[in-house]
Amino acid sequence: MTSPVWKIHRNGLFWLLVAFAAVIILHADHLPNWILLAAFVAIIWRIQLYRSAWRPPSRLIKTGLLGLCLAGLVAEYGSPIGLEPMVALLVSAYLLKLLEMHHRRDAYLVIFLAFFITALDALFDQSIGNTLYIIGCLLLVLAALLGLHGSDGNEGQLRPLGKAMTIMAQALPLMLLLFIFMPRLGALWSVPMQQQSAKTGVTDTMSPGDFSRLGRSGELAFRVSFEDAIPSQKSLYWRGLVLAEFDGRTWSRSSLSRFQDSNLVQWYGDPPKSWDQVVDRKGEPLTFSVVIEPTQQRWLYALDTPKPDSEGVGLTRDYRLISAHPLRSKKQYRANSWPEYRLEPQGLSSQHRAVYLQLPEEFNPRTRELASRWRKSVSGDPELVSRVMALYNSEFVYTLQPPLLGKHSVDEFLFDSQRGFCEHFAGSFVFFMRAAGIPARVVAGYQGGERHPDDYLVVRQYDAHAWAEIWLEDRGWVRVDPTAAVAPQRIEQDLQSVLGDETDFLADSPASLVRFRHIGWLNQLRLQIESLNYNWALWVLGYDQIQTAFLRNLLGDNSPWRIALAMIGVGGGLLLLLGLWMLLPRRSERSRDQLDREFLRLCQKLEKAGFPRQVGEGPRDYTQRVAGSRPELARQLVEVTRMYETMRYAGETPDARTLARTIHSLRINRSG
Amino acid sequence: MRQVVDKLVTSIGRVLIGKDEQIRLAITCLFAGGHLLIEDMPGMGKTTLAQGLAAVLGLSYNRVQFTSDLLPADILGISVYDRNRGQFEFHPGPVFSQLLLADEINRTTPKTQSALLEAMAEGQVTVEGETRPLPHPFFVIATQNPLTQSGTYPLPESQLDRFLMRIELGYPDPRSERELLSGVNPRSRLAEIKTLLPAKQLLQIQQHVADVKVAENLVDYLQRLVQFTRDDPVFYYGLSPRGALAALQCARAWALIHGRQYVIPEDIQAVFPTVAGHRLRGAGECANQDGDVLASLVLNSVDIL
Repeated sequence: MTSPVWKIHRNGLFWLLVAFAAVIILHADHLPNWILLAAFVAIIWRIQLYRSAWRPPSRLIKTGLLGLCLAGLVAEYGSPIGLEPMVALLVSAYLLKLLEMHHRRDAYLVIFLAFFITALDALFDQSIGNTLYIIGCLLLVLAALLGLHGSDGNEGQLRPLGKAMTIMAQALPLMLLLFIFMPRLGALWSVPMQQQSAKTGVTDTMSPGDFSRLGRSGELAFRVSFEDAIPSQKSLYWRGLVLAEFDGRTWSRSSLSRFQDSNLVQWYGDPPKSWDQVVDRKGEPLTFSVVIEPTQQRWLYALDTPKPDSEGVGLTRDYRLISAHPLRSKKQYRANSWPEYRLEPQGLSSQHRAVYLQLPEEFNPRTRELASRWRKSVSGDPELVSRVMALYNSEFVYTLQPPLLGKHSVDEFLFDSQRGFCEHFAGSFVFFMRAAGIPARVVAGYQGGERHPDDYLVVRQYDAHAWAEIWLEDRGWVRVDPTAAVAPQRIEQDLQSVLGDETDFLADSPASLVRFRHIGWLNQLRLQIESLNYNWALWVLGYDQIQTAFLRNLLGDNSPWRIALAMIGVGGGLLLLLGLWMLLPRRSERSRDQLDREFLRLCQKLEKAGFPRQVGEGPRDYTQRVAGSRPELARQLVEVTRMYETMRYAGETPDARTLARTIHSLRINRSG
Repeated sequence: MRQVVDKLVTSIGRVLIGKDEQIRLAITCLFAGGHLLIEDMPGMGKTTLAQGLAAVLGLSYNRVQFTSDLLPADILGISVYDRNRGQFEFHPGPVFSQLLLADEINRTTPKTQSALLEAMAEGQVTVEGETRPLPHPFFVIATQNPLTQSGTYPLPESQLDRFLMRIELGYPDPRSERELLSGVNPRSRLAEIKTLLPAKQLLQIQQHVADVKVAENLVDYLQRLVQFTRDDPVFYYGLSPRGALAALQCARAWALIHGRQYVIPEDIQAVFPTVAGHRLRGAGECANQDGDVLASLVLNSVDIL
């Protein structure tokens, strides 16, 4: 083991470790705990190395540590594909490299890795708080880079940080410039995120328990701004998914191909498809714009019955919106909705009817039996619906903590437990309808949302909801929400008003400020933060949506060469201003002194003739140098120099005018 | 004044061929009242220059060859018991002279080197508890080998700072070397050198140096030079105020020996490398750079205006 030749100095190490710790903390929420522990050990080890108390790891130990890390990563993640295992791998390499810093170049590597790892965090979280923290991290890493270049001798401990701040401040105009003009490029690759399930929100299947799980989370789902006033709470049904297939326990999407219509998605800008004719839209549409959090899925949410108003958004055959790409980052889209509508009133084709009447044979015999009995005793479909709703209204309890259900889940729910969450009600209702021969489907999405004082709507995971749609002769698809029969406050107000006292509500978001909304000032603070984050999402993260229009307004048209020209123009202008700013103070200092001004005039004159004055070159050296190559000027130059020197340095009364005249009389022709 | 200096230069130039610039700088140093350090490889004429200067100025002159076993008492002097008179008698060492030539000063141990320290700084020595003044004027001209040479003890920074100037001689140009090789050994002419500037006149000149005018904006220039060495990361540490003062003093003397009563920027530039060179240390990429290179870096980075 050779001893390290290069030793990092104290201040350099200090900043390096500070930056290291900041970068690790930045990623702490998606790194396994043992890496955090390893990072701590690495810091201690590094400090002990500096104090020469411990020895650097030998080759054997290094190999062992590397093996341990790899094994830990495999145990933690299994597959190396995905963002989180890759970041974890990089971080473990980063902390091992910290122990291996034998040369200056190793320290550079550690710092550049830190820059990269810091930037990676933006893939996980782009909220305003996290962005500020990332900037803070960059500042510290920059300070570490500067600290590496300084020495202990003549610098204060904090000097690198001050310098880093200056550099960051200087980079600010460039950052703004790039932000405004640089076209946003879509991701060239996409890596699946490991934690998707926790962040997806509503999934494309519905089993008992799914929605009650969401009821425990206060995480943000999406935010909506309406062009006009926000409609009443009970009409805010955010349609996301249509679930038509039931296997006895789980409701899932029926594949679109079973509709057998061609062109099942009508993208924004496409000509209307034939199936667009079967919807009857009446009255004025509501126009709204949604900023949705990343879900890794393609479906979007809109009020019934929607039409997309943004590029890359389409309307599907079952009248919901989807995105052209999975939502890997926040997305903003606009849509129009017609609250008064009739969906397929003319009738269902036999295939569709089959899809919406499908039921597995071997489940829930009691429900089937009851359905056929009631079917015979009522005069029409509407009466059957009100009878079922009355059933729900009589005995049922709406709760986040429903009992577990066995094989015949609908039977057990309807006849035994009678306690459930929205998925139980919607699922059992649709089952009942189908059993009674009425085409029905489950619609999943969100219901309601919190009105922010700044006039937009915040929809959180606990607003997730499922309801039913049934098809009635002459009316088409009609929304029926059995939950409304059991817990009308859920629909008219929000979940908290029904379940606020249940311990499971928000159980997964213990620190969520929503929990404390009864405390006045805290609620105020929460709304402020919420509003800040929304505007951040709208104007900074969503800028690419505005960019095209903005640039068109600014430049007249947004062809690439115009954008490039604008960037170069503004950038060049900034640099020019910077240059002027750097030159000006010195110039003005100079202009204070007439003698010096005359001397500078002489310098300019000689520079034009091809003899620029060097930095630090004194007048005598300079004129002698020029006279050496241009002997015909020697006499005059000596005279001017003598004059300048005596006035300037010998304390003779300055006579700038005579000097000016002499310099003026100096005739220099370029060719000589 | 110019003629006087020119005469001095030609006179010494006869024993040290082709080094007029360095001779002029050495004279500047003595006029400015400072001690001189001459650094170069063995056999480049360091001792010859020192001896030539001593001869021309007609100062009482002692030479000490510094060796590794030299003791402080060998320089300062020692009290010896006189049996006849029954008391101790002080025998002054070679330091009690107007010009002390400390040859190869970095061959001796730090202990002995530091014995010179008080003498150089205070113009007095303390031996066995008794402080004794040194003659006036008192100069030390020290020569040393570059530190890369074996068997040397580097002078500590504190001692380097006592020297007003450090000059390097460098190899002679081919023409001078030819003259040197074809003629008689110039060193033999040392004995022929006559005193050209008596000590009394030297003291007068030293007073004149203080009268040389330095314009305000030249002080600004010097301050900028000094500030640059303190701010720029190329330097491990910057010039001390004593260093700045030394540069100003030398620039004055340089102006004077060129027959001017005022300093021009070129004066500062001419003496700056020799004054600042041994007081600067590079850091970072310039850690191993020669002092002269660092000094010219300063001069090329700071404008005179």
